[in-house]
Amino acid sequence: MNSETGGRWTRRQFLGGTAVAVATGPTTWAAPQTAAAAAAVDENPWRYDVDRLRQVDPALIGYERVAGFAVAASGVRRLVWTTPRELWVTAGRSLLAYDLGGAKVAEVAIGDVVRCLALAPDGRLFVGLRDRVEVYDRQGQRLARWPAVSGKPFLTGLAVGKDMLFVADSGNRVVYRCDLEGRIQLRIGEKNPERNIPGLVLPSPFLDVELGGDGLLRVTNPGRHRVEVYTVDGALELAWGRAGVALDAFCGCCNPIAVSLLGDGRVVTAEKGLPRVKVYGAAGGLETVVAGPNQFAPVGSDERSRGKPDTALEGLDVAVGADGRVAVLDLVGSTIQIFQPKGVAAVAA
Amino acid sequence: MLPGPSNDDRTSRREFVRNGLRVAGLTGAGVAVGALSHRGAAADTVWQIDPRKCLSCSRCATECVLEQSAVKCVNWFPICGYCDLCTGYFEPQPIGLDTGAENQLCPTSAILRKFIEDPYFEYKIDEDLCIGCAKCIEGCKLFGNGSFHLQVRHDRCLNCNECAIARSCPGDAFYRAPVEKPYYQFTT
Repeated sequence: MNSETGGRWTRRQFLGGTAVAVATGPTTWAAPQTAAAAAAVDENPWRYDVDRLRQVDPALIGYERVAGFAVAASGVRRLVWTTPRELWVTAGRSLLAYDLGGAKVAEVAIGDVVRCLALAPDGRLFVGLRDRVEVYDRQGQRLARWPAVSGKPFLTGLAVGKDMLFVADSGNRVVYRCDLEGRIQLRIGEKNPERNIPGLVLPSPFLDVELGGDGLLRVTNPGRHRVEVYTVDGALELAWGRAGVALDAFCGCCNPIAVSLLGDGRVVTAEKGLPRVKVYGAAGGLETVVAGPNQFAPVGSDERSRGKPDTALEGLDVAVGADGRVAVLDLVGSTIQIFQPKGVAAVAA
Repeated sequence: MLPGPSNDDRTSRREFVRNGLRVAGLTGAGVAVGALSHRGAAADTVWQIDPRKCLSCSRCATECVLEQSAVKCVNWFPICGYCDLCTGYFEPQPIGLDTGAENQLCPTSAILRKFIEDPYFEYKIDEDLCIGCAKCIEGCKLFGNGSFHLQVRHDRCLNCNECAIARSCPGDAFYRAPVEKPYYQFTT
């Protein structure tokens, strides 16, 4: 009540009070709702409990976080280093460039949702859409638009070499070797008993490919919980990895979902479900952990992820820089974190 | 002598009965139409669960008025990965990927695993065993595609006016579905 107006509300006070009530009402209503939902889940006698599996012994983590920032965009999916101080991220229908301080330095609009991205040595950006590849320069000018892939394409990974591009198509369960004009030269990874190739198993749309300095391809085979090593002619040279929640294994139904290579041939892997980033030797022995589940946004922790299956949220992507730093894109939290080996002098962001 | 009431103003017994029947008939017709429309509205919708809102809290297993809940796990095969390591079927840390009881996540062994071809397995639900606890659904959602989901089975549901599970559902996942679409329709 207002004493100056004889206990009556002025019109301004009434409108102001109404506005405050409207603004705070949903918050005060939603808070108990969310708390009740959380309590109901906690009281569940049949709870699917993986809390203990989210713990990683700190002594096994060989990397430390040196930088990190939020990506102010939705639909983030893949990232690449373009320079030691710059990262490009796909976000919905655009490419976003960030410096390591988190400042956005460039943005390129793309006509469709970007599924994957690779940087060629000459600076061109190869952009994978659902069914085709487009080529851009760093200023955002489209240089080429390749024809659509036949079948049921769903492109999810790209790796570029000197004169060829490798395109991971999770829809057709194959990796294409293309020339840089977009002509498909070879299909890699398809089931072929004569060549002792078991075939790619992809319960969900995660197929990644990387080309190493040794000229060999690393291809994820998530349904078989392993990384496969192919020559550029499609011969299967090596495969490693096993299923399980143990730290040296790949968890869940289908992991790893992304790989990136260190300069010496070691492999950095990313998993979903229990979001983990690990470093394996070239032959598949676990060497160290870059980051464990506690360093990423837990699935179900917010309204965006609650109730959604893991494949709808996707998980993580990794990219190794020329100096060995590992950039991790958290698709749930929409953040980028930079890690480097412990004991190495920090590089200024 | 005072003038008596005019015959023009009075209602005859015959008119009185006729009017009474008319009013009674109209009232009865109104009641009948109302009752029919109410009955039709009730039968037009049934209870169902929106898997996108389900929190897998397990209340479906305990809150239903039936001795065995009308809510059951359903596997939607078009998005099932047919995984060898199905996280809806196996414990988070199974000893082996086989049908041993110690490896199974389901407290009543209601999920049936069948080999199809390397490395694919089919998972079906034995609804007589399923109690609707949603443990498998949480496992499937956490690591997989979310093909396991809870649904109200209409061969069991009594379609109560006020569903006891819906009243206690913390995710507000229960809704009235039209009888033409009694089950939740996924879109891929």
